[in-house]
Amino acid sequence: MDNPTYLLEVKNLCRYFTSGRGKKKLTVKAVDDVSFGVKPAETFGLVGESGCGKTTLGRTVIRLYDPTSGQVIFNGREISGKMTNDLRRYLTENIAMIFQDPIESLNPRMTVEEIIGEGLKVRGVKDKDEIRRRVVEMLEKVGLNEEHATRYPHEFSGGQRQRIGIARALIVQPKMIIADEPVSALDVSIQAQVINLLNDLKSEFGLTILFIAHNLSVVKYFSDRIGVMYYGRLVEVARGDDLYAKPLHPYTRALLSAIPEPNPLVAKAKRRVDYDPERDHDYTHEKPEMVEVEPDHFVYCSPSEFARYREICKRVGKVGA
Amino acid sequence: MAEDRNKNEVILQVKDLRISFRAYGGLVKAVRGVSFDLKRGETVAIVGESGSGKSVSIKAIMGILPGNAIIEGGEILYGGMDLTKLTEEEFHKIRGKRIGLIFQDPLSSLNPIMKVGAQIMEALILSQKMDKKAARIRALELMEAVGIPDVERRFHQYPFQFSGGMRQRIVIAIALAGDPEILICDEPTTALDVTVQARILELINKIKEDRHLSVIFITHDLGVVAQMADRVNVMYAGKIVETGTTEEIFFSPVHPYTWALLSSMPDLETKERLLSIPGAPPNMIAPPPGDAFSVRNRYAMKIDFEKEPPLFKITDTHYAATWLLHPKAPPVQMPEALRARIERMRRAVANG
Amino acid sequence: MIIDRNNLPEDIRNLPESSFEIVGTEDIRDEAFRTEPVGFFKDAVSRLTKNKLSVISFWIIMLIIASSIIVPNCTGYTYSEQNVAFKNLPPKVPGLEKLGILDGTRVMTNRRKDSLNDPTQFPPGSVIEIVKEYSHSGVEMVDVKVDFYRMVGVPEGRYHWMGTDYLGRDLCTRLFLGARISLIIAFFSVVTNICIGIIYGACSGYYGGRVDMMLTHFAEILDGLPYIVVTILFMLLLGSGMVSIVLALTVTGWIGTSRLVRAQFYRFKGREYVLAARTLGVKDRALIFRHILPNAIGPIITRAMISIPGAIFSESFLAYIGLGIKPPNPSIGILLSDGQKVLLQYPYQTVFPAVLISLLMVSFNLFANGLRDALDPTQRGEV
Repeated sequence: MDNPTYLLEVKNLCRYFTSGRGKKKLTVKAVDDVSFGVKPAETFGLVGESGCGKTTLGRTVIRLYDPTSGQVIFNGREISGKMTNDLRRYLTENIAMIFQDPIESLNPRMTVEEIIGEGLKVRGVKDKDEIRRRVVEMLEKVGLNEEHATRYPHEFSGGQRQRIGIARALIVQPKMIIADEPVSALDVSIQAQVINLLNDLKSEFGLTILFIAHNLSVVKYFSDRIGVMYYGRLVEVARGDDLYAKPLHPYTRALLSAIPEPNPLVAKAKRRVDYDPERDHDYTHEKPEMVEVEPDHFVYCSPSEFARYREICKRVGKVGA
Repeated sequence: MAEDRNKNEVILQVKDLRISFRAYGGLVKAVRGVSFDLKRGETVAIVGESGSGKSVSIKAIMGILPGNAIIEGGEILYGGMDLTKLTEEEFHKIRGKRIGLIFQDPLSSLNPIMKVGAQIMEALILSQKMDKKAARIRALELMEAVGIPDVERRFHQYPFQFSGGMRQRIVIAIALAGDPEILICDEPTTALDVTVQARILELINKIKEDRHLSVIFITHDLGVVAQMADRVNVMYAGKIVETGTTEEIFFSPVHPYTWALLSSMPDLETKERLLSIPGAPPNMIAPPPGDAFSVRNRYAMKIDFEKEPPLFKITDTHYAATWLLHPKAPPVQMPEALRARIERMRRAVANG
Repeated sequence: MIIDRNNLPEDIRNLPESSFEIVGTEDIRDEAFRTEPVGFFKDAVSRLTKNKLSVISFWIIMLIIASSIIVPNCTGYTYSEQNVAFKNLPPKVPGLEKLGILDGTRVMTNRRKDSLNDPTQFPPGSVIEIVKEYSHSGVEMVDVKVDFYRMVGVPEGRYHWMGTDYLGRDLCTRLFLGARISLIIAFFSVVTNICIGIIYGACSGYYGGRVDMMLTHFAEILDGLPYIVVTILFMLLLGSGMVSIVLALTVTGWIGTSRLVRAQFYRFKGREYVLAARTLGVKDRALIFRHILPNAIGPIITRAMISIPGAIFSESFLAYIGLGIKPPNPSIGILLSDGQKVLLQYPYQTVFPAVLISLLMVSFNLFANGLRDALDPTQRGEV
């Protein structure tokens, strides 16, 4: 997967959490040997169920957690090495993050202006009027206005708070955004607002987005390419249409079959498939690895599975175009 | 024939229910005249966003409204009783016995320091007056019935040793302990992963069939509604704005809020821009006059701001509260994106 | 109300055509705010003032503080002015004396009846009434209510509002001066405890890991030392006095605060807004002081408030067991300890300081409770 066209490249990234010591030492492999790349101006969706390590992965990329091993390369520069002031600056200038919880993610003791302007202050913008001007400009971009700048977060509704979070991430003009479940804590009627806003901003700023979510419909709608995670591992990466038309890894198939279909006549007749790693894989003789089954479609599989998957791809053919 | 008649028997009827909460700023009018009924053996879904009053309504049915709630009017008829007038003692005879309840968060509805087996047994002993031996046997049966593997070992474990899905199964087992005829599910799968959710939904459907339960299902996820419900009530700002069979709601919705709800979430085929609902739900201390949805409604007419719409009848099962159904209203079609989506759904049905 | 569309009621059928004009637009903006922005402390104050009990407590505390500043200078006596002739005088308050309470009288029991006529024992006019007459072994005895001030020859117009102690010192002066000293000791010890506690707890909680482990172990060891022993050591080293008492109260006093702060930091450092600030490149110090501490401050302030009466009580306790500040300086504890020795004969010497310390402790606790609710971020906006 060594590809110079990638803006963000993750190579064999591992992040383990340990607890206890000696005999009681317990290691949780939250992210285990994950590799993928995100192209410029692309939205890469990361789906998986709770505890699969998708949030940890996002946080390791932006260095809220230090990687246990592996490499993260952004725009040709390694960002997974030892943390220096220089690297910290490089990171904050290039990657920003949007968080899940609209209540939790804004400091209740700060005004909206202070929250959004903080990134500028850190960057050394001292002029108060300049900060004010840019905050207001950003507020208008996310559909709020100048009057909102002096307010405290608790006065806003969930959707508005999430938009403030987006403004905070974008004011520093990053090249890339990591959006960690940005809509899952919102009401249905509000989710669409935020998704549309993200879509608009994405094209306006030419953003590259790493979109982390558990709602497959939203990920499919929002992302160009999708990675499916299962217990710390990336098991399948493909373009959205390919993934949904020809899911290869049995876990992807199980996940897709479990999406509730908003069509009453189909939903009740729907057949669900289960995933059981013990039953679905036989890795006693062959070791699985991430391989490209067809262009831009990677699956974590053993050589014999690989042959089978190739067959499926040939049979289904090309979709979407 | 007899079974057919049974099927149309209304076993629970909510009539013009009004509930308010005392809060700092004044009275929060959470439920403003909700009426619906539940027939034997059917699943009725109540859909709405947080604050629409859907949870409050069913809390009233269960008699578990918080202390600052006031039932201002209406009645809940069940088994010849009006549940709004029952005392706490009288509710004990109904709650957990004739009506079972499944909450959103399985962890907080289980006692963390009590073994799950003991919790199911307790429910059995309390509701069925069983002795310990019989309760133990029945509890193991129930655990098996809700799909818990290795029951003998699991019986002696604590809630924290269970995964989210397994915990919800325990909660379902406890709800079933009283052998209820009505099961109320308040967002039972919202906290769960999709694959687990799918299994729990299947389980609820299965036990509903096996035990001829009537189910009230509260959710905000329309995909779940499609899979579970026979009839749907769409709630907004404390009122039912549209009610109909699941097919009617999904294939021929008429209320602009239902339109917005249906088209605001992408499905797997969606490519076009989503229809978002602008603004935020209204402040229920002073709900707007007229139609509460009018301020967020792009099809709002003058009258929507002045007068509350009545519930217009469309078919025998399909009703909606919107002035767009008035003969003098301009012909407004549902949004193009939604029509396209319904078209897609029809094709999917045709293709099997 | 269900309406059949083919059979509309009159009033609905006759609604004017113009009502059905579409006025909704695609462009619906967020509602503007109708209220003033409310800052956190403004919000907290408005919620605090809604709580009657804590407002009353607040004014009681203020009254006691004001009294402790003013009263010792207004009584006309000093705290150390002794007059053995006027020892153990009962309380006498101008104005109230006419009502028969706090009028400087005392019932003296078991007096020989004939001694009433002895002007050296009972000067003329000092006997008010004979409460009880009886004979014991053939001797006529009486219990007699006397004007004690006149009896010991206190000049007319001299009042001791709370009486005098065993050395004839004015108790009122000593009590409020004692309250002043107790409050100062409490204030300084609490401020140092909170400062040390915040810094220590913040380091421990924010950095976590090995730093946390070492700091926590050190605090545990310190906490294990018997605090009386530490206090005695300080007394030996520095002599008794305010400084050594404050130090004695500080040695282990900050540990509780630091544990609280540590817990708060553990709770808040994983919050999404702290993570968000970290991804923006905000430095550790700003994270601690701008993002974490302001949100954790509620319980810390509350704890400080609650520990003030605790400190007063500890000081009193030390004084009571004889480890207090140097005599003749008063403190509430010293007064209590002196008063207790003569509790049965002169109960007022215990009652006044006891009432004051109880009042202080109850008020501080109630005020702290109100403060805790007011600063609780989950109750924001609920006014």
